[in-house]
Amino acid sequence: MAITKINNKAGEASKLKSWSEGKNWSGKLDISQSVSGVILALFLWTHLVLVSSILLGGDAMTWVAGVMELNFLSPDGHGYPWVVSLIAIGVAALALVHVVVAITKLPMNLRQQLALKKQMSVINHGDTKLWVWQALTGIAILFLLPVHLWLIGAAPETIGPAGSADRIWNDGVWLLYLPLLVCVELHAAIGVYRVAIKWGAARDINTRARMKRVKTVISVVFVLIGIASLLAFLPYA
Amino acid sequence: MSQGRTLTFNIFRYDPQVSGDKPKMVKYQIEETPGMSVFIALNLLREQQDSSLQFDFVCRAGICGSCAMVINGFPTLACRTLTSKYPQGEITLMPLPGFELIGDLSVNTGKFMRELAERLKLWLHPDQDDVDVHRLEAPMAPEEAARLYELERCVECGVCVSACATKQMRETFVGAVGMMKLARFELDSRDTRSVEDFYHVIGNQDGVFGCMTLLGCQDNCPKDLPHMQQIAYLRRKMAVALV
Repeated sequence: MAITKINNKAGEASKLKSWSEGKNWSGKLDISQSVSGVILALFLWTHLVLVSSILLGGDAMTWVAGVMELNFLSPDGHGYPWVVSLIAIGVAALALVHVVVAITKLPMNLRQQLALKKQMSVINHGDTKLWVWQALTGIAILFLLPVHLWLIGAAPETIGPAGSADRIWNDGVWLLYLPLLVCVELHAAIGVYRVAIKWGAARDINTRARMKRVKTVISVVFVLIGIASLLAFLPYA
Repeated sequence: MSQGRTLTFNIFRYDPQVSGDKPKMVKYQIEETPGMSVFIALNLLREQQDSSLQFDFVCRAGICGSCAMVINGFPTLACRTLTSKYPQGEITLMPLPGFELIGDLSVNTGKFMRELAERLKLWLHPDQDDVDVHRLEAPMAPEEAARLYELERCVECGVCVSACATKQMRETFVGAVGMMKLARFELDSRDTRSVEDFYHVIGNQDGVFGCMTLLGCQDNCPKDLPHMQQIAYLRRKMAVALV
C-alpha cells in the first residue's frame, strides 16, 4: 500500500515536471512569435522610410546610407559597410525565430489543409480570410527574404543611389523586390493588428474596427512609398 | 412588408444512419410571412413539404442554443435570424462544421460540450475543507456577480467552435467556449483553483497559446459574448504566470 502511494507520488512528480516543461515551451513560443513579429515589422517600416530617402534625391540617400554604415565614426568618413551585413544577419536570425514558431500554427498536414479548405468554403469570415492572406504572404516571404538579405548582406558597400539602382533595374532585382514589398507590407500590418488584438489592445469592437482600418491604410501607404522608391531609382540606373 | 415573397432554401441533406445516403443540397420553396424567422420557415417546410428534414430546436427564443446552423455562410441561431434579412430571398443552410452530424442540420453539440466540461473541469471548485451545506452561502459583491453573469450568458450553441478555423484544423484545441467558461471560474472568488491550475489546462498549444486570434468566435457569437477581451485577458494572465 505504502509502496503504491510512493509510486503514485513519483508518477505525479514526473507528470508535474513534464507539464512545467510543456508550459514553458508553448507559452514562450507564442510570446516570441509576437515579439519577433513586432520587432520585424518596426524594422521593416523604418527600413522602408530610410530607403524612401531616394525620393528626396540621390544626396539624401547617400547621406542615409553613410549614416547607416556609421561613417561619422570612421576617420576616413567611409564608414563600416559590415554594419549593414550585421543588421542583415540580425534580421535573418529574428525572422528564423518567427518562422520556426509560426510554422507550428500553419496547417502542415493534409488533414488540416482539407479542414481549412472546408472551413473557408462553408464559413464566411473576414478575419479568417485575413489570416489566410497572412499565411500565404508569410510563405512567399520565407522564399523571397533570404535572397534579399543575401544580396544586401554580401555587398553592403553597393548601397546607394547608383549601386542600388544598378541592382534593382540593371540586374532585374525589381522582380524580387516588387512581390516582396507587397507581401511584407500586407503581412506586417495584418500581423501587428493581430498581435495587438491578441494581447488585449482592443477593449471594444469599435476600437478593433478602427485598428483594422489603420492596418489597411498602413499597408497601402507603405506599398505606394515602396513602389515610388523603386521607380525613383530608375534615373540612376 | 415582405409578405408574399417566395423564399428559396438550399438545405444540406444527409442522414448518416441511412446506408447508401450521400450528402446533397436540396432546394425548397416557401411563401414568406411577416416576421418569419429561418426557424419558423424550417418548421413549415417540415410540416408541409418534407417530414424527414432534421434540425434541432427547443426554446425558439435564442436561449437554448439548439438551432445553431450555418446560414448563408454565417454560423448563427435559426430562431434569431429573420428571413427578411435576405433581400434576394435565397437562403443556404448547412450544419455547423466541427461537430458530429446527427442528420441534415442537426449536430451533436451536447456530446462535445459535455466532453469539454469534463476535460477542462468546468464547474465550481470550492474549498473542500470548508463545505457546509447547512450554512447560508456567503454574499457576493454585485460587481463580481455582474462580471460572472456576463460570461454565464453562453448558451453552448457551438457557433464559436464552428466559426473557428483553428479549432477545425486542430481537434484538441479547446476553442472559445472552453476558454470563456474557464475565464468565468477564474473570475469567481469562490473557486479555489490557482493560476497554475488554470495554466495546467489552457496554458498550452490547445489553449490560449494555440489560439491564433482569428476572432470567428467574437464575430459570430449570437449572444455577443466578449470572446476577444476574455481570451486576451486569459492569455495575459498565463503569460504573467509564465514569467
